[in-house]
Amino acid sequence: MSVVANTPVENVVVKKSLRDSTFLRVSRYITVRLVTLFITVVIGIYLTIMIANMGGFVDRIIKGEIRDRVTQSFLVNPAYKQMDPETRKNLMQEQIAQEEERRGLNTPIAIRNFNFLSNALTLNLGRALNLTSDSGSKQVRLIILERLPATLLLMGTSQLFLFFSSIFIALSLSRSYGSFWDKLVIALSPTSAVPPWFYGIFLILIFAAALKVLPFGGMVDSPPPSNTLDYAVNVLKHLILPGISLVLSSFFISVYNYRTFFLIYSSEDYVDMAKAKGLPANSIERTYILRPTLPNIITNFSLLIIGLWTGALFTETVFLWPGLGRTLFQAIGQYDIPIIVGSTIIYAYMLALTVFLLDFVYVLVDPRVKIGS
Amino acid sequence: MTTTSEKLLNIENLVLHFKTSTGSVQAVDGVDFELGTNRAVVILGESGCGKTSLSKALLRLLPRNVDKYSGKVILQGTDVMKLSDEEYRQNVRWVGISLVPQAAMNALNPVLKVGEQVAEPAMIHLGLSKTEAYGLVYKMFQHVGVPADFVSRYPFELSGGMRQRVALAMALVTSPNLIVLDEPTSALDLLTQANIMNVLKRIKHELGTSFILITHDIATSSELADEVAIMYAGQIVENGDAKDFFPAPLHPYSQMLMASVPRLRSDSDPMFITGQPPSLMNPPDGCRFAARCPFRFEKCSQEPPVFQKGNRKVKCWLYQ
Amino acid sequence: MNTPQNSFQKLLQYPSAIAGLFVVFALVAVAVYTMITIPYSEAIRLWRGGEDVWYQNPRFAPPAWINYFSSKKYSESFAVSTSKGQIEKIVTPGNGGTSTIEMIYPFDFSYDEYPQEMLIYFASTFDEKQPFISIELSTPDDRTIRIANFAVGNEFTYRFSQDEKLLAKLRAEDVIPALFTLPDGNAPLKGTYQLHIIGTTFEPDSDINMEFVLHGQVFGLAGTDHARRDLTLPLLWGVPVALAFGLIASVGTSILTMIIAAIGAWYAGWVDELIQRITEINLVLPFLAILIMIGTFYSRSIWVILGATILLSIFTGAIKGYRAIFMQVKESMYIEAARAYGASSPRIIFLYLIPRMIPLLIPSLVQSIPAFVFLEASLAVIGLGDPVLPTWGKIIQDAQSNGALYKGYYYWVLEPAILLMITGLGFAVLGFALDRIFNPRLRDV
Repeated sequence: MSVVANTPVENVVVKKSLRDSTFLRVSRYITVRLVTLFITVVIGIYLTIMIANMGGFVDRIIKGEIRDRVTQSFLVNPAYKQMDPETRKNLMQEQIAQEEERRGLNTPIAIRNFNFLSNALTLNLGRALNLTSDSGSKQVRLIILERLPATLLLMGTSQLFLFFSSIFIALSLSRSYGSFWDKLVIALSPTSAVPPWFYGIFLILIFAAALKVLPFGGMVDSPPPSNTLDYAVNVLKHLILPGISLVLSSFFISVYNYRTFFLIYSSEDYVDMAKAKGLPANSIERTYILRPTLPNIITNFSLLIIGLWTGALFTETVFLWPGLGRTLFQAIGQYDIPIIVGSTIIYAYMLALTVFLLDFVYVLVDPRVKIGS
Repeated sequence: MTTTSEKLLNIENLVLHFKTSTGSVQAVDGVDFELGTNRAVVILGESGCGKTSLSKALLRLLPRNVDKYSGKVILQGTDVMKLSDEEYRQNVRWVGISLVPQAAMNALNPVLKVGEQVAEPAMIHLGLSKTEAYGLVYKMFQHVGVPADFVSRYPFELSGGMRQRVALAMALVTSPNLIVLDEPTSALDLLTQANIMNVLKRIKHELGTSFILITHDIATSSELADEVAIMYAGQIVENGDAKDFFPAPLHPYSQMLMASVPRLRSDSDPMFITGQPPSLMNPPDGCRFAARCPFRFEKCSQEPPVFQKGNRKVKCWLYQ
Repeated sequence: MNTPQNSFQKLLQYPSAIAGLFVVFALVAVAVYTMITIPYSEAIRLWRGGEDVWYQNPRFAPPAWINYFSSKKYSESFAVSTSKGQIEKIVTPGNGGTSTIEMIYPFDFSYDEYPQEMLIYFASTFDEKQPFISIELSTPDDRTIRIANFAVGNEFTYRFSQDEKLLAKLRAEDVIPALFTLPDGNAPLKGTYQLHIIGTTFEPDSDINMEFVLHGQVFGLAGTDHARRDLTLPLLWGVPVALAFGLIASVGTSILTMIIAAIGAWYAGWVDELIQRITEINLVLPFLAILIMIGTFYSRSIWVILGATILLSIFTGAIKGYRAIFMQVKESMYIEAARAYGASSPRIIFLYLIPRMIPLLIPSLVQSIPAFVFLEASLAVIGLGDPVLPTWGKIIQDAQSNGALYKGYYYWVLEPAILLMITGLGFAVLGFALDRIFNPRLRDV
């Protein structure tokens, strides 16, 4: 026995056409999204390449370097001292020209940039100019792959620990608003204004220089211990200080943000309703507080994943951690464009992929979101 | 006169105060009333008189900054105020009293289907399986007039009126004897308001539920009311059967309240009450309405007790 | 709406905010003081250093006040000269245009550690005949050590520790410790020493002046670095630099972000889309790497870095937040009224939309200052700091490249680090409290 129900006619019509066009809508959306993301990546990489070449400015520097180096080698080499100045000068010019050729300085910069771009986009990362991998190869791909695990280890442990512990702690803090721990976290949140490498310096001062219990830097002692267990323990020992720096720097603000976030979500009216309905506390927490926050938490998690890749440039440098951050820094110092471009393109692709996947994850997690909205 | 033990609900001196940074808000300051089975009482009052706090006090939905919460709430013979939180949750919440909140949009979990939300209390409190619970859900949807296939919809897919009906279905699913409705129609358009009131009347007739309807909407609520209670400055100032009240309100405030409702066929303009309701943070001594009351006299500087006038109760020295 | 006075009162309710305000005011006061007492050009000149600027200071010397906390007392540095009247100078004319110039300087040595070095800078005037100098040192136990004697030209520097003859005479390994201990003892002999210099000039107008410099183990308020520079200079000058960089970057970024978000929200359509795309592209660009590249390849000037930082920081996720709010505000009544009376779009954006946002701006503005201050310091630490400016990051970089942590020169790293910490925390704490006042979503919590 139903009273005249409020079933607007549009609902029915919309539903029907919805079903039919869902496939079209979704495929259209995916195509548009992929194309836009790709263009974004292209422009981003191109800009980076341009900056890395600084419009020919870097060329001048490198040319100057080559000239200096070759001239110096000629002066020092006794064999050349015998030659007459004319021949020597010609020989020098030849060598300089050769070097310039090798560095690709003869092709106009626009073409070179374009080549870089197209190679980068197809993940043909080429060979580094100065840096070498430990195995002796100059292939950018190998160099990056070699340094990657170190960064992943450091960032992975610290960021994952940070993520899960802050959510867990924040959740329990949101239940005890105004308690001592709550106030403590709030009071300590500003400590996250200080970057990790900064904490690193203090930690090194205390634990490495003064107390001498932990190493100054690096990933493993040299020479490294031979058996695997000792090696692992040694790596862990080196991991402690940089890991703690990274965690310490973000910990309190992370807990504070999640706690505030959970507090806001737990003061929603529907949470009160859930309480009024007499649902048990953990059910409320799970379904009424955590579930609606999932899109947000997932976004954070995906940003975390992206951040794993970039690594912490300064922290790795301060701790002499042999990861990608430090490699990138060394590459910049040596004008090693292929490596700079190489790591940037991989980061860009990872970013684009994550952003793209996120759209779909949102749909799964938040019923209010539909593809194409 | 029915005895206390026959009454469904008996509230004595219910108090709820909140702590704020500027002081203690005495939102509910000594509320007494009774309600029988299958009866609907309308609690009328202006904004800021403590109505919503009263619904929270009745349902033990306390915020973090509670200063004082006391009194007796005797539901079917048991003083539920004495129960622990866990006992209250298991025995009183939703099975004893349920709630239809104001503006049901925000009262429904946006990421859960409405069917799930309506079934939840049935599964928790009545121990039903999912299928059994959903069976109840369909039945309730029928009662309130929600199409059956809405069970798999999300709140954002429903119109305001539909959501309110879903909230009502949710409140009914455990067959409680008492439902508190907090401004159930104020966020809705006139037509939907009328619809909802009709649904309420039908449910009262078919299921025998009692209602506490808290609102400022005199006109709409008068359709459902068996009894009327007037709330002012955190207290109930008048109480009685609707059929006695509407033609002849006793308390000066009630009289002025009724006179302020515009009439369709009337030559005179609606009255308005001068002044402002007193602050709930520092309620005045004596009768709280005295400052605005045209009939005040010296006795009003003392707080009047509740006087009995036949079946009706008035908190005013004029009726001593 | 919070009025400024209203908000300020609310701010004072938080003790942390009071502390933050105090720190900020103190920093501003120090910055102003520094810029007045050591003007910019002077600071640059001093920082560039050189022998003639800092010669009086020892190298790698911790600050003098560590003596209060240390059981071992370290010798303090000083420099005195005759031209400033700090050294007693007695000129006794003799016959034939000669004169004897006696220069006497008594000084206390009551330390447990020896000075790094002692030097005497002689400056003499003469036509043809060089004056002659004889140096003696009297010890507290009334011994007189003949140090050296030689002729001096216009300028001559005598370094005690480099005198081989003296070393041989003392039969010790190092000159300076030997001078300050008993002949057969190990511990320093504490008491009043006296430097006694007898100079002889051979012409009527000939004159000798000297400056006696003692490089102790400690120096001054903040110590010295590898180039003998007094660290109070970069520590003090670091304040205005850090504040300026932090404030300009933060204010510039916030205002520009807000304006762009407002423009995007107001014009919508392709303008909005474009801004979104630019934001996404900016997300791909490696922020730090680019700054480092600019610093390495192009210019380390602080203005260039500042400009690049702002440019790269405008198109961030914050735009989305502001944009969302502007979209809401756009629909409000008074905006409609403004359009109705024919207000132009720029007018609406700048006079209506943006002023609404300013309260929301303030907390994030203040909270982003520490990040920029640390960014500048980070770049300086890796060697990309401004080449001429004395900043805190530069101190740390110098310290790192001179192995300060390994060699135990902790003060060198700690002093700028602590200042950076205080600055960062001060602004962070203040911004935090501001956030709790101005952020509407936090007010209910």
